[in-house]
Amino acid sequence: MRRVLKSPWPETFIMILVTVLTYTAMTTISFVVEPPEGGMATGTVVGWLFAFFILSLVIALLAVLGGIGGGVMFTPVMLAFTPVDSLIIRGTGLIVAMFSGLISTGPFMRSGLANMRISVFLCCGFAIGAFTGANGAILVAQHMGAAGEGFVRLILGVILFTLALYFIFGGKKIEWPQVDKADNFTEKLQLRQPFYEPSLNKVVDYGLKRSRWAFLCIVGVGLLSGFFGLGAGWAIVPAQNLVMGVPLKVAAANSGVLLGMGDCIAVWPYIMTGAIIPIFAAPWLVGQVLGGLLGAIVLIRVKAGFVRYLLIGFMIFSCWGLVTRGLAGLGYIKPVPHWMTGIVFAIIFSWVLYNVIKMLKAKD
Amino acid sequence: MDSDRPIMPKGQIVYGEVVYYLTVVSCLVCIVGPLIALIDPEDNVMNPYFTFAAIFQGHSAQEVWTIVGGGFPGGHFWMDNFFTGDGFTQFGLALGCTSAGFALIVAAVVYAFEKIYLYTGFCLFVSAFIFLAASGLVQF
Repeated sequence: MRRVLKSPWPETFIMILVTVLTYTAMTTISFVVEPPEGGMATGTVVGWLFAFFILSLVIALLAVLGGIGGGVMFTPVMLAFTPVDSLIIRGTGLIVAMFSGLISTGPFMRSGLANMRISVFLCCGFAIGAFTGANGAILVAQHMGAAGEGFVRLILGVILFTLALYFIFGGKKIEWPQVDKADNFTEKLQLRQPFYEPSLNKVVDYGLKRSRWAFLCIVGVGLLSGFFGLGAGWAIVPAQNLVMGVPLKVAAANSGVLLGMGDCIAVWPYIMTGAIIPIFAAPWLVGQVLGGLLGAIVLIRVKAGFVRYLLIGFMIFSCWGLVTRGLAGLGYIKPVPHWMTGIVFAIIFSWVLYNVIKMLKAKD
Repeated sequence: MDSDRPIMPKGQIVYGEVVYYLTVVSCLVCIVGPLIALIDPEDNVMNPYFTFAAIFQGHSAQEVWTIVGGGFPGGHFWMDNFFTGDGFTQFGLALGCTSAGFALIVAAVVYAFEKIYLYTGFCLFVSAFIFLAASGLVQF
């Protein structure tokens, strides 16, 4: 009983209660209130709000299960398969990425898994990159019109495909990197912070190196995150792990903290130009926060590697949509017919199914 | 490695707690905001009954604001429209999007008390960057 009175339970209960009451009230309104002339039916508006919330919740839960950030799912899928303006999607994508990071910050900081010093040091670089990237996105949108939209989709499609390959083949990661000698600059920063690792039942102290190179890498990652409205955990984790020698678990926790902190900068150019429309962005925000909390409480111990394949499948399918829409937007090809997209979907998800079955059989 | 659990630095704990609870408050505001917008749709900067249609027609952000709201009133329109549905929701968004800035100021104070001036500086730098971005003063 006492456990239920401790964070995160009370705030999670309150948020669930308020959400249920709010959506019940909205549903009631949809039966009572007449829409203004020429406007959408009240039920349709409530339906969109509810659908966005549920989709965001599902993305957040799948992100916890699959170990892939929510932001990297939201932006490509929306850009590939909806007619919504790319700047609105990228701005909302940053909201999705940053709020899943912000809500995980508290628990990571309390447990000591995240290292505030590394996070805030790297965030100085991320801030510069992300702010420049976000302003660049707005400049491109304002001056390049339809060609800019096509260009953004095409480049994001290529990035996403590279990313999907990285997720399939795993990439090189080192759980406990060995650091024999730290450089003077890293030593002066005093970034080291021992933490208790429950799986080892030990306090782990770790050495660090090459922090100035990691800083430079993070400037580039920030640029990418701000421009495309993506969460960039997939790049922040290897930059810390492989360049600086941060243990993998700490690097993953720092990545959440860093995204929450850094995207607080990247998101503002979007807000100040009106690319974040409050009633459109709010349900996505709520879904990420609630999904992140529920995921951390309920699903954190569930190992569901097969979800990873599902997410990778969605990423590759989004690549198809992004590249074809990008090329069509630039006038290089005609819009792709739906039957062809259907065939691509069937091929990709047959591959996903094959891998899931293979994985489940291997477990048995 | 030893078996004594290390005590986490105060600056770290304080930062985590401030960000976490500001995010929760921001989320609660964003849950309730759209409901207020639907209860009195006329009393909004953008009437929600027309907003989604404009977004899904593929209009740019500026066009959506112009078509539905008569023009974009600025990122901090919530200050003049706090009691409207979308103004209140925008306040929730603004609060969440500056939560790290407020938390970093508190963390900087803690680091300063502990005489860890390098990290006081880093915290203040990032915090200043957040508020500078939020002010809209620097745009390319």
